[in-house]
Amino acid sequence: MLDRRHFLQTTACGFGSLALAAMAQGAPNPLAARHTHFPAKAKRVIFLFMAGGVSHVDSFDYKPRLIRDNGKMMEFEDQRAIAKTGMGAAQRIMQPLWEFKQQGESGRWASSLFPHMSQKVDEMCFVHSMHTEGVAHGPATLFLHTGTTNFIRPSMGSWISYGLGTENENLPSFVSISPSLSNGGPRNYGTAFLPAVHQGTTLGRAGLPARDATIRNLRNPLLTPEQQGRQFDLLRSINDEQMRRATSLAQGQADAELDAVINSYELAWRLQTNAPDTLDVTSESPATLDLYGINEKVSENFGRQCLMARKLAESGVRYIQVNYTDNSNNPAWDQHSNLPKHADHAAAVDKPIAGLLADLKQRGLLEDTLVWWGGEFGRTPYAERNGTGRDHNPVGFTQWLAGAGVKPGYAHGATDDFGHFAVQDKVHMHDMHATILHLLGLDHEKLTFRYAGRDFRLTDVHGHVVKELLT
Amino acid sequence: MAKLTSHPSAGRTSEAPHKRAATARPHLLLAGAALALTGAATGATPAEQMEFFEKKVRPLLVDKCYNCHSPEHKVKGGLRLDTREGWVTGGDSGPALLPHQPETSLFMSAVGYTNRDLKMPPKQKLSDEEIAVFRDWIAMGAPDPRTGAPEVAAKTASKAMSMEDGRKFWAFVPPVKPALPAVKDSAWPATGADHFVLAGLESAGLDHADDAPLEVLARRLYFDLTGMPPTTAELHEFQQMAGQTQEAALASYGAIVDRLLSSPRFGERWGRHWLDLARFAESSGGGRTLPFKDAWRYRDYVIESLNQDMPLDRFISEQLAGDLLPAATSAERRRQLTATGFLVLGPTNYEEQDKQLLRMDIVDEQMDTMGRAFLGMTLSCARCHDHKFDPIPASDYYALAGIFRSTRTLKNYKDNVAHWIDTPLPMEGEVETRLQAHETRLEKLTADVAAAKKRIKKLSPKVEAKDAKARPVAPDELPGVVVDDSQATVVGTWKTSTRYPTYVGEGYLHDQNEDKGAKTLTFTPKVPQDGRYEVWLSYTALNDRADNVPVTILHADGEETVRVDERAEPTINGRFVSLGQYRFVAGGEGYVLVSNDGTNGIVTADAVVFVPLDEIAKLQTASAPAGADSAAAGNTQLQAAQAQLKDLEKELKQLQASPLARPEAMTVQDDSEPEDCKIHVRGSIRNLGAEVPRGFLTVAQHGPAPKIPDAESGRRQLAEWVANRNNPLTARVLVNRTWMWLHGEGLVRTVDNFGTTGEKPTHPELLDALAVEFMEDGWSLKRLVKRLVTGRTYRMASTGPEASLQADPDNRHWWRQNRRRMDAESIRDSILAMSGQLDPKVGGPNVKADAIDSNSGAAQNLEYNYVFTDVRRSVYTPAFRNKRLELFETFDFADINQPLGRRSSSTVAPQALYFLNHPFMVEQSRLAAQRLIASGAGDDGLVRQAYREILARPPGPRELRLALDFVTVSASEQDAEARRFDNWSLLIQTLFASVDFRYLN
Repeated sequence: MLDRRHFLQTTACGFGSLALAAMAQGAPNPLAARHTHFPAKAKRVIFLFMAGGVSHVDSFDYKPRLIRDNGKMMEFEDQRAIAKTGMGAAQRIMQPLWEFKQQGESGRWASSLFPHMSQKVDEMCFVHSMHTEGVAHGPATLFLHTGTTNFIRPSMGSWISYGLGTENENLPSFVSISPSLSNGGPRNYGTAFLPAVHQGTTLGRAGLPARDATIRNLRNPLLTPEQQGRQFDLLRSINDEQMRRATSLAQGQADAELDAVINSYELAWRLQTNAPDTLDVTSESPATLDLYGINEKVSENFGRQCLMARKLAESGVRYIQVNYTDNSNNPAWDQHSNLPKHADHAAAVDKPIAGLLADLKQRGLLEDTLVWWGGEFGRTPYAERNGTGRDHNPVGFTQWLAGAGVKPGYAHGATDDFGHFAVQDKVHMHDMHATILHLLGLDHEKLTFRYAGRDFRLTDVHGHVVKELLT
Repeated sequence: MAKLTSHPSAGRTSEAPHKRAATARPHLLLAGAALALTGAATGATPAEQMEFFEKKVRPLLVDKCYNCHSPEHKVKGGLRLDTREGWVTGGDSGPALLPHQPETSLFMSAVGYTNRDLKMPPKQKLSDEEIAVFRDWIAMGAPDPRTGAPEVAAKTASKAMSMEDGRKFWAFVPPVKPALPAVKDSAWPATGADHFVLAGLESAGLDHADDAPLEVLARRLYFDLTGMPPTTAELHEFQQMAGQTQEAALASYGAIVDRLLSSPRFGERWGRHWLDLARFAESSGGGRTLPFKDAWRYRDYVIESLNQDMPLDRFISEQLAGDLLPAATSAERRRQLTATGFLVLGPTNYEEQDKQLLRMDIVDEQMDTMGRAFLGMTLSCARCHDHKFDPIPASDYYALAGIFRSTRTLKNYKDNVAHWIDTPLPMEGEVETRLQAHETRLEKLTADVAAAKKRIKKLSPKVEAKDAKARPVAPDELPGVVVDDSQATVVGTWKTSTRYPTYVGEGYLHDQNEDKGAKTLTFTPKVPQDGRYEVWLSYTALNDRADNVPVTILHADGEETVRVDERAEPTINGRFVSLGQYRFVAGGEGYVLVSNDGTNGIVTADAVVFVPLDEIAKLQTASAPAGADSAAAGNTQLQAAQAQLKDLEKELKQLQASPLARPEAMTVQDDSEPEDCKIHVRGSIRNLGAEVPRGFLTVAQHGPAPKIPDAESGRRQLAEWVANRNNPLTARVLVNRTWMWLHGEGLVRTVDNFGTTGEKPTHPELLDALAVEFMEDGWSLKRLVKRLVTGRTYRMASTGPEASLQADPDNRHWWRQNRRRMDAESIRDSILAMSGQLDPKVGGPNVKADAIDSNSGAAQNLEYNYVFTDVRRSVYTPAFRNKRLELFETFDFADINQPLGRRSSSTVAPQALYFLNHPFMVEQSRLAAQRLIASGAGDDGLVRQAYREILARPPGPRELRLALDFVTVSASEQDAEARRFDNWSLLIQTLFASVDFRYLN
């Protein structure tokens, strides 16, 4: 087998160089690595998307008040009730179902919901004062990815691809592993009006095993490699003849556009003969597989996704989204009832995520890779309809960052005594977007695209870089 | 602050915040300056007041506010807080504070965090002490020494064009028909348009390309007009022109054009262009995607209208206001109602919880689509402020928005997941008569069923405590999955009771009529298998019970809350009431939650039973309520009533199952109370400014604007204003797009943007000539197309003189025809034509999405699990927003989330991989090979035929040899026949993958 790194370094095949070839003479490659607005701390991002909304008050946002007042009825400004009626409602406070402890040298609080991640708090930079737009999954998920609940806008990965280009012309600059068709579906990795090369390339999709996740149409299952080789030779000859005709028709004028198409076939050919290896995680050592929980049934699937993410990060993909989700309207973490079910989801992602952090660190990748963890919102500190679960909470929740350019073992901002509203050093999702762009060396106010007569930004007219998070 | 909120300050129950603030005040003031207290604040001397400002207020303003509200940093929301005039004038939301009136000042509600849309400073609330400083300052009259008018110059000069300049901008000046320019080479032009093009070329000193070879022109014309390749016979017909005189050839060509224009393929091809503009889709996409069951009717409307060459002004009017136009026949009414689907088909996020925001988002989307599709303008910029570049003030935006806000696009503004409006369509003659009869019967039967149920309820004996027949029932005597109260998750104190013995198991639970809102019971079933279940709740009915018990059912497709009347006798066996039928998944989420929130009497709950639907059917077929529970067994009257009900229900069910159903269309309606819209400051739905009378774009207004009567939305008048000779934009935008669809680029290259940031026309006079002629010609698309394709400009080759290429590589002088990419539909339709699989059916639905419950997961599964198998033309391929046909995704199909006049075009690796490896390519190539070989020609003939059908030209000698070498299998080889077939399949697939197939020269 070809050494993967060697392959990636030496072959000229792939998405980036294709785009390059597609350009008319003299035009720049839209995916060529581009200068940042200022020196970047991070070269790439791995976003671990926890669809449905993890309960922050059961995981990383410790609120002793909930334990003290467990079961008490109080009036809360429930966001769903407010969106519908403009008024709050009485709610029953529900204590965390998992025990909190201070962890690591930093003493950050974490609950037993995530035993492995809890061991990594010294790497994490917590933002406890997140707030966002959208009370329902669809709007909030779109907001998380595109900065708007309803308009058709490019997704964050597309903006970053547009802003930075790719480090590796053999791979797409933006990859989404196992994304959902739900809650905005393709819009969450779509380019909207940005050039098509910045579209997220999907590997697999939610509901399908990660072991089958790959780039589409890499193989024709009916043909042996020899047959495919023969067909490709024919294509090459036919195209050569057609180019000869075209050149004679054009009285010898060169034609960069047709050359680009011809090149695209050459590149596709090399891609299909080589790329599957770059996505193959089985070549990793047993220790690595173990680190990611791939040998355990419960975490096998997400473990593979995380390991694939590391391999893509290592190969220079700019933005890698790893999705823990499904195709339903009420995605994985959405425990409106039966909050204990959070434990099942935690078991699926906990070890893989902790493993990813450890692996990135030991390979030195954490120095220039930013890891971002979180859902589209958090959950309420009170029981939904006084039942056994928690409703959506977009007005206060926790996300964490780790790695390049952010303070390790740090906690920023706070929610109120109950974990309901962000009240101190609030960080809006627009601010998070602005901060991540900043870490990548991009000024969120300067990263614009002129479309339909107007300059658009990921952060619209909002967003502040949260300087306190930065090293 | 009467209610407790969850802010830290409010969570405390012992101490009301305002009290604390009040008690804190003396210290504060003492510490600051010798000032009198609130109420007496006016008594402080000016010097004391100034001291208070300097010591307390100014530092706070500098520290907490200047960062966003002073010109050294930025001025957010237009508000400056660094001068007195700044807050007196205020920002976008008006004066920031009113001296002496802290309670009514916007400023106080913002810093007090009591205004949920305006909380300042945004990151962190001020301390109570700091808030009190501001309150006192305002109460004493807001003394402020920082006078001096804010520098207006600090505001960057607006780049927007003034209204006066705007009215002189080319796009807003009505087109006037120019004289034909003189040309030197008078033999060349075939049409008026050619004169303009040639005059331009001659003045630039550029030579144009020769006429395109016939085979090239044939392929170009067929794809442009029909989206399909010419057949062998059609190619042959084209080749005949070679031997004709120029005049005869032109006549032949004209006849072919006429034939193509009258083919239904024309409407399919050009309808697709329109559908791009209408961001046509068959599901909503967005958050929770919902299938649009009737969207296909709008698609068919578009195709039929273009096939009938409906004047485009009427076509536009119908799409904006068809529901308001007079109709002579039912067919016309149907057509006009269906046309308004244009306004409904957007990527609406029906799940948005704030329905007023949703309402305004829909208005914005409609205006954006209308603006881009008909006017070539981006209006949505003016939602938040005056347009930065174009002369469109926010007041114009809200004048138009008033029209759309007075138009109903949603059924209501309450549903958890909102829904569009399905309007029943009128039919004619016998069909209508039968439908009406059917509907009358349905209505009567529904009423009869309700009456029968009522009667049964009345006749049924009340289950009294002493009723000897009332007895507890054990869970295992019941059908389905029983979750008894003993297995429920209990929140709050519920009392177990056995007083009324109709319960299941050991007793039932009783909320003692206390702690309303604090008690719940959650019944979580373990269903054995996925499927639909009817959910029953048992309770004991009595007069002191609540008649409004909220019961929430979370099921696989969402959740429902129903209100149960516990005063009424349970209808099923005197024990249960049905909560409805829902889908549950084994191992999935699901529960029934009984709450006593807001209830007006005692709440009891006993057990919840989940009965699989097939068991329900069995129970229904079994004779009447059985066993010990048929307390009414002796009552013949009741039995008769029950029998009657059964018959009625059966009849109703049959009637409902009848295929006789009135078609519906997605439409809008005028609102019953149309009203003008207020300016939404910064686009916020909760920050309203001045009201603007409904109206149109001032800058494009020529002649008197249509008057909008108070009782109408104004859509009819809008349609009149848009589709009008006096509108400077509409016709120009239409002819420019038509030019683009035939020449690859528009005369205005930014086809969707005629504003000041768009490009100017390469040939302004040509554009105007075409626009005026088009309007004078009755807005006929077909005649416009014919004028263009008969032009020499259209018929030129796509390569030409080297000097022209050097001088004008972008072809802005139109010295040649542009080479164009085959679009996704043309690729797919050609392949299906070649493989002989294409189903030519015109119109009609292509995906069955009957009435869908928005809350049902089935709505999404229809889309997510959809397998694309049909072989109709691509315009009919189900256009789901979240799941596209892969070929469309790969080959730059329009983004169906937004109106699009011009698709993007990319060359990326996945396209090559698609051609080489996708199963569709493999299968269709094999089918094509089968068809080809079946013709029985020799190899040589077969290669020629393949080239002709795929590339519309014969192979060159080298190409022929290459192909023959590839397909030839030595007869001695094993499986020679199979190998030969494989080779032909691969040859065909390779021709599809070749460069020539992907371009139209």
